[in-house]
Amino acid sequence: MIKTDVVIIGGGATGCGIARDLALRGVRHYLVEKGDFANGATGACHGLLHSGARYAVTDPEAAKECISENAILRMIARKCVETTGGLFVRLPGDSKRYRDTFLKNCEDAGISTEVLSASRALDLVPGLNPAIEEAVVVPDCSIDPFRLCMLNAFTSRHKGGGILTHHKVIDIIKERGRCAGVKVLDRFTSQIKEIRAKIIINATGAWGDTLARMSGSEAPMTLSKGSLIVSNHRLTNMVINRLRPPSDGDIIVPNEAVCLAGTTSIVVDDPDAAEVDPREVDLVATQAEQMIPAFGSTRLIRAYTGVRPLLKAEASDSRSISRGFRIIDHKNGMFSILGGKLSTYRLMAEKTVDAVMAEFGIKTRCKTAETPLDGQDELSGYPLSKRLKNMNDIVCECELVSRDQVENAINSLGIQYIGDIQHRTRLGMGPCQGGFCTYRALGIMQETGRLSPDESIQILKEFLQRRFRGIRPALWGDQLREEQLVESIYLGILNMGHAQ
Amino acid sequence: MSTHEYDAVVVGGGVSGIIACLKLNSRGFKTALISRGDPACCLSTGCIDVFSRTDSPLDGIRGLPPEHPYSLVGRKGVADALSYFLTVMDEAGLPYEGSPRKNRRILTPIGNQKTTCLVPKTMADADVPGSEHLQVISFKGLKDFYPSYITSRFRNSAFSVYDAGVATTLGIAALFDRAAFVDSFIDWLKRLEIPHDRVAIPAVLGMNDPAGVLEKVSRAIGKKVFEIPTLPPSIPGLRLFRALKRVLQNRGAHLYWGKGVASVESQGKRIEAVTLATTGRSARVQGRAFILATGSFVSGGLFASRDCVRETVFGLPVFVPGERKDWFNTDFFSDGHAIERSGIRVDRTFRPEDCRFENLFVCGSILAGCEIMRNQCGHGLAVATGTAAAGRCAEELS
Repeated sequence: MIKTDVVIIGGGATGCGIARDLALRGVRHYLVEKGDFANGATGACHGLLHSGARYAVTDPEAAKECISENAILRMIARKCVETTGGLFVRLPGDSKRYRDTFLKNCEDAGISTEVLSASRALDLVPGLNPAIEEAVVVPDCSIDPFRLCMLNAFTSRHKGGGILTHHKVIDIIKERGRCAGVKVLDRFTSQIKEIRAKIIINATGAWGDTLARMSGSEAPMTLSKGSLIVSNHRLTNMVINRLRPPSDGDIIVPNEAVCLAGTTSIVVDDPDAAEVDPREVDLVATQAEQMIPAFGSTRLIRAYTGVRPLLKAEASDSRSISRGFRIIDHKNGMFSILGGKLSTYRLMAEKTVDAVMAEFGIKTRCKTAETPLDGQDELSGYPLSKRLKNMNDIVCECELVSRDQVENAINSLGIQYIGDIQHRTRLGMGPCQGGFCTYRALGIMQETGRLSPDESIQILKEFLQRRFRGIRPALWGDQLREEQLVESIYLGILNMGHAQ
Repeated sequence: MSTHEYDAVVVGGGVSGIIACLKLNSRGFKTALISRGDPACCLSTGCIDVFSRTDSPLDGIRGLPPEHPYSLVGRKGVADALSYFLTVMDEAGLPYEGSPRKNRRILTPIGNQKTTCLVPKTMADADVPGSEHLQVISFKGLKDFYPSYITSRFRNSAFSVYDAGVATTLGIAALFDRAAFVDSFIDWLKRLEIPHDRVAIPAVLGMNDPAGVLEKVSRAIGKKVFEIPTLPPSIPGLRLFRALKRVLQNRGAHLYWGKGVASVESQGKRIEAVTLATTGRSARVQGRAFILATGSFVSGGLFASRDCVRETVFGLPVFVPGERKDWFNTDFFSDGHAIERSGIRVDRTFRPEDCRFENLFVCGSILAGCEIMRNQCGHGLAVATGTAAAGRCAEELS
């Protein structure tokens, strides 16, 4: 049995941010996450660090939060943020009145803007639709959500916090009507562990209500899925937004070697059952094509969907900090943090920890806004300069991941899951989506004794199934060719089909 | 622009196109073959899958629907085409074994068995009974071959790793083309004093004479030896392609390699000529009849856009099952996705349906309804339909 002060459930940006905040305030804590970091909405979003301009007209409070957090994150999370800048482009037919309101509201919120003529905007982003009327520059950035979680968790780990990924909460321990801890299942060893704590923080995003109900309370939310597509090329170096009221398919974000375009917004019931509909792919692709015409002819490598944990519109709570997020004190030892967005994860963590500290009756100041994230140099991402150093034994040709890197992930990080290797090395993130290299990485895991050959084949099958879910909605053109080649390998050469 | 005249022009340099070209050539027609590049066959196991869902392929194809290309060829036609293939491969110096009356099994790199029909000599002993003891040989650094997958499936087995100094299948195969390398490999094998009955080696035993290398190794250690086909690029697939191409060249057919078709000239119901996309002076290839053998999606014969599928050379009408959302099942491992049925529908003479051209014939995986993944019938279908389309084309020419 483990004893601590606070248990955080959920390893998304919010949960990891809370862990870091607690660590910096010297509070003992454990974080449990059923998958890897960024398993839910954090890992399935745009990777956009909002300037706030997107919300300037519809939600000025959220816009102010965004621009303030934007400035903080640029400072404390340098290695996670790419300061791309963003453009809001106005296409023929988009309202000029909206543009005027937009500029005024940005100014009110403290978001800097600069209006560019079409030709100046095309100088900045040559791939833009040449028919645009004008564009507005805003301080949008691209952010790596996975690395952000890792780095927040890094601080927590180094200050004595416990981080348990791949541990699923199966029960909330209750004593005299109060939450006294959690029972978690270690998904690798199937062992059940008990963690005792004074406070439980429910930072499970779309799964928030499920967790709250386990404690005998509830956390009403509206779940909305948003689907995105990934292009095989980086078609723009700046974030591109459509200058019109927020709607489907109005954002394109560059990320490493690719671009992400999204999103849709469709209410769903079960976060585990949300899938991309091919019609959403068509919708987003068509909209993206209007801003950057090459989106129409570029190979898409996959599509994915994330479930936004939105606040229920009618419920108004006194602790509500803004329309963006809300902290619920369930009065039973559990606090839930609901709503919000990646860009404001730090603020959400701060306010949640403030509430917990008030419960403990301790006064400590939050330090997360002025302290840069630790470990940024160790986990500095995937620069090509590093990759080109060892070209001898490349396991993943798309993303230039060497055998050394894979072995290092397995041996020094003690990784048990293929997905964890992929997140940490970018193995399998390229155009073939792991069609070739996953088989190899599993072969290496098997050779290092991490997996038995049978386990390795089983994991390969699960991976192929998961991979196909992401690729299937966007299968045409060259990606369809690639898919049939991958099929011929696994179902043909390796004979892994059902008939086998 | 230069013009070249032929009786028959085949577009597509895979198994079906080359077989069709050979057939026409052997009947005395002046033939040419146009190919954009090396075919998808180079990515295959090199084995000829004919129909893997039943013990006997010839019996099995009896149950296929009438629109399946095998049904159009007929069982006798399929059997004759496959024996023709065996003769051609003997001539090419890459002998194959097997009969369309009975399937056989080979070993895969993950240690399970795969059903196929005709196999290169180097895989003749690949059907290992579970009771037998097996020694697996691997090569240092080979990234697509993990011998423990295989040894874990056989009770009494072991593996040893040879350091060839290079780590790619192509690199190692090139070494096996040298006698001195083969000798030192054999010395190493002898020193292992293998107690097992059979020895399995990933398919790298040379490009030129794999059967010869295999026999030499097998005789030196006194064991049965066989190859395991690996992931692309596959050495047995490359050997098959190169052997077929070599025969075609030796027979004097004209090859336009590395060139795609830029435009098509037609008059009324006949295709007159195609113009090749070349960097230099463009060439006009004129024919009395044409055969389309450009393959399916992987090879580029078909191309899918967001809402339709087109045939990329002649713009023929393509049969497509349903809308895009219906093309693929949700289960990756399911028994064939609907998209596999898409392609060019042909009549009994292998002429495309709903098409005005009378001197055009179609063969290979671009044909509608073949369901290659579901039936595991890739190269067998290529050989059978290549032969059949060439036969109909010859009738047209005479």
